[in-house]
Amino acid sequence: MKSALKWDILAKCSTTKARAAVLTLPHGPVNAPVFMPVGTQGTLKGITPDQIEGLGCQIMLNNTYHLGLRPGQELLDACGGAHTFQGWNRNLLTDSGGFQMVSLLKLAEITEQGVQFESPHDGSLMLLTPEHSMSLQNSIGADIMMQLDDVVSSLTTGPRVEEAMWRSIRWLDRCIKAHKKPETQNLFAIIQGGLDPVLRKKCIEEMVKRDTPGYAIGGLSGGEEKDKFWRVVSQCTDLMPREKPIYCMGVGYAEDLVVCVALGVDMFDCVFPTRTARFGNALTSTGTLSLRQAKFKDDFRPIEEGCDCIACKSYTRAYLYTIVTKETVGCHLISIHNTAYQLRLMRQIRESIIEDRFPQYIHKFFKDLFVEKSAYPEWVVNALKSVNVDLIEGDKQQA
Amino acid sequence: MPPLSFSLIRQSTHRSAARRGTLVMASSPSSPAGTGLVEKRVIETPGCFMYSVKGSVPHLTPDTLRLQGFGGVHVSMEHLLQDHQTKGDGLEKWTSFNLSKFLHLQDMILLCDIRDPSRYAKVPFNSDRYVSMLTHKGVRQLTLEDYLKCIRAYEPDIVAIIADSISDLEPATATATAAQTTLAAGGDAGAELTSMAGPKRVRKSVDRSLRWLDQVLRDRQGFDTLAEQKALDVARKEERRLSLQKMKEQQAAQKAGGADNADALAQVIQDLEVKDSALPTLTSQVKLSTVKTKTPWTHKSSVFAHVVGSQIEQERIRSAEETAKRDGVDGFIVDVKDLSSGSGFSHEEVLKLLKVSLDHLPAEKPRLVYGMQTPEDVLSSIALGADLFDTTYPYHLTEDGKASLFSFGASSESQGTADATAASSSSAATASTTNRWINLWDDEHANKFVPIMEGCECYACKGGKHTRAYINHLLKAHEMLATVLLMSHNMHQYSKFFANVRQSIQEGTFEEQTQKFVTKFGAREPIRVPGDIHPAQLIVEASLTKRNRLDGLDDSHGGSSNNGDLNKSSSIEDGGLPSLSDMGHLSAVAAEKEQRRVEREKRREQRSEERKRNIVNKKEKRLQRKLEQLRLQREKELEGKEQ
Repeated sequence: MKSALKWDILAKCSTTKARAAVLTLPHGPVNAPVFMPVGTQGTLKGITPDQIEGLGCQIMLNNTYHLGLRPGQELLDACGGAHTFQGWNRNLLTDSGGFQMVSLLKLAEITEQGVQFESPHDGSLMLLTPEHSMSLQNSIGADIMMQLDDVVSSLTTGPRVEEAMWRSIRWLDRCIKAHKKPETQNLFAIIQGGLDPVLRKKCIEEMVKRDTPGYAIGGLSGGEEKDKFWRVVSQCTDLMPREKPIYCMGVGYAEDLVVCVALGVDMFDCVFPTRTARFGNALTSTGTLSLRQAKFKDDFRPIEEGCDCIACKSYTRAYLYTIVTKETVGCHLISIHNTAYQLRLMRQIRESIIEDRFPQYIHKFFKDLFVEKSAYPEWVVNALKSVNVDLIEGDKQQA
Repeated sequence: MPPLSFSLIRQSTHRSAARRGTLVMASSPSSPAGTGLVEKRVIETPGCFMYSVKGSVPHLTPDTLRLQGFGGVHVSMEHLLQDHQTKGDGLEKWTSFNLSKFLHLQDMILLCDIRDPSRYAKVPFNSDRYVSMLTHKGVRQLTLEDYLKCIRAYEPDIVAIIADSISDLEPATATATAAQTTLAAGGDAGAELTSMAGPKRVRKSVDRSLRWLDQVLRDRQGFDTLAEQKALDVARKEERRLSLQKMKEQQAAQKAGGADNADALAQVIQDLEVKDSALPTLTSQVKLSTVKTKTPWTHKSSVFAHVVGSQIEQERIRSAEETAKRDGVDGFIVDVKDLSSGSGFSHEEVLKLLKVSLDHLPAEKPRLVYGMQTPEDVLSSIALGADLFDTTYPYHLTEDGKASLFSFGASSESQGTADATAASSSSAATASTTNRWINLWDDEHANKFVPIMEGCECYACKGGKHTRAYINHLLKAHEMLATVLLMSHNMHQYSKFFANVRQSIQEGTFEEQTQKFVTKFGAREPIRVPGDIHPAQLIVEASLTKRNRLDGLDDSHGGSSNNGDLNKSSSIEDGGLPSLSDMGHLSAVAAEKEQRRVEREKRREQRSEERKRNIVNKKEKRLQRKLEQLRLQREKELEGKEQ
């Protein structure tokens, strides 16, 4: 199908499956691997569009489900889409609204036709079909839009998983057909199939035939065992076309990002950094600081030495301790810091891939984070071993 | 030499006391060199300190804060002092910090006071030893010693002197007449309240404030005022012991004469209370030390003194004149907040009392006024000679979802008209909507893809980037960017309002423009009632509160520990239930709390009424019984006589 993007791979890691690329979208270039912060309702949790741009963010997420409910399609059409509506001139990606099925299952009924939701605002019924999802996403005008897929929890087993996989393929066809602006908006397919390698393989085969501009690995990050998670990711990246961007949905913990990049994933999104910020948790390369804790009351260091975000440049941990979870400013500041942290992490990963020292970067990253090798999670060690990085023995060889 | 200087560019005229000046703060020696921050900080007057909560201007991060055009920040100790710091403990660790560095406000003029200038909530009373303050963990008592410790560590550019401002939950016993005293004695101390303090309490507040002022000024010069205080206390105690002894002796003598023992003792104690400050002898023998044993902080902080006196004109005059006499006072603070908020005083009376204070202050020094925030209050105060205010008003507008449209002066006329038309057409939604602001909670803005105010240069409006429709969406989605944008706009407009006022004073058109302003925007804005929120906001907050309860979130306000659990609300964002944010939790919780507080107060009032009635009833019954007894007695006597 038609595509409104350009995917230029700049460098490939000589050890792992990682790659550095430039993804050119209608609203400008995006350096990959990329982490996309989530602005669910057309805003990134109190951060102004200028501040987000200032952090070097090139693409942000909005949720179709939320924007469809409020402000609603009519208003989005009237103002010319979500970019104008929220004053954001860079790229946007929207999900299909399908992910909300997992979390709102009590309210939703899934049929071949689509998903019926009960509006949490007024209780009215809202039918989300692939056609409706496309229509909404066309109104939003996101640079990347996601197909409506039949999401089942990654903990589900049995025939429901296969049913969802096949239905997602059928819905992809309906999405492609209903997509009105393929010249300006890119439709990504979402690979389903649960934790079953056979189903995943089948799904990839079918979806690659549809030749969408990019592919996403869906149905993960739902509480499944990490050891199963990485194997599915790795299998998918092996089978997916290498000349297209690969997006792993809902992944955002720093160690997951590093591992998944090594497994060949290019794009990520997660609400974690901004959500955890509102509880006063600041992300650093040595772990999370819970700034609500009294131990920070006399700590006059910035959150992270060397961070150039406005929170670190202006304030000490001691001051942040006095305002987090109490003042909105505290929330904004930690959100800004955490977003800056995620984006910096991706920048560093990208640079190390371009300079072909990504394995060294991985070693340093995990040493900073866990200090002791005995603390390294087993799945991380296994996953990285599968792409030729031996966390336990490897750094000696390099030294 | 204190680093602060104030110069008047244009003095008051015969028509009005409005004046145009400049407050300049030279860089304090303690601020690190080479920080790239400005050498000289300036507030043009009439002007504003930005109101802050816990040292942050609400909703504004340090970058957006600096787009607003204000040169000063007001910081309240009661926000900042944590439990561990209430006694100034923990501040000794501030070796390389002072308050402006800690708050990253080195480029601003920082004024530090004890209480929140916007809060109308009453705090328990002060005493000779301490001032009560409302921290986020409840009421705390700040003694002079703690206060001095704090300001020595804080080194703010301007220190507001610890003062006995009466905003208190004063037991009636302190103020009321004897009859009322008897009544209140039956109830508990907190139940019986008076809205205004009596003359004795007011006099005491003036005396206490002056005493504290003198002590702070001595501490500032390096004298150990606390040691002096201790010596004085010892002397006073001794005096009291002696006079009590004397009285007891007298009593013993009187006892033979059959006088009522308890009454006499009560009288003695009362006499002592009254004459407390007037007692001579021992206390007057305590000499003030002549040796400076502490480090002076004259060069670190300038001093603004509170002028008090409540509703009593003579006391206001005394406070103003006495305070002005003190050497080393660089400016004055006149707080009319409690007069202007529901204490039964008319607007004119409040202005009259403000005028009394301002008229008795030296012209060459700056005057900061609390409690005058709406544009017309500001204009009236400026006309009486006030120089400085705080930004509570734009903050309150923001909290209510309102965006200001008012403007002052000739330069903003054309722009104002267009908006006024837009606003008047929108006044259908709520009766309170006037053309001085719009309420963005109103549904009518949902499809208005125009900025709040055409031509406004604030962050929100500039270039038409953020529209009314977007802000309406953000409010309804309970997204925090709503208040960020509203605050940016309201603060910017407030600052512009002041700039235009300054210009008009300079051009001599202030009175004329004030008149025009009043004609255009109406004479007076109704007093803001904190619980009075927009119906749409109520719906959103109610749904949040309900959901919070379902989530099992605790409603304790300082609930950082309760909100801390990630798993508890893991469904908040990725779960897809829209319109939840944690600040949402907080404000919804706060709204609910407020409601409960009001209910509690109502109940308390009812109880107190009941108690009063009971007391009266009991009294009546007792009297009736006595009467009955008397009657019976007389009947018996009569019977006896007859027999």
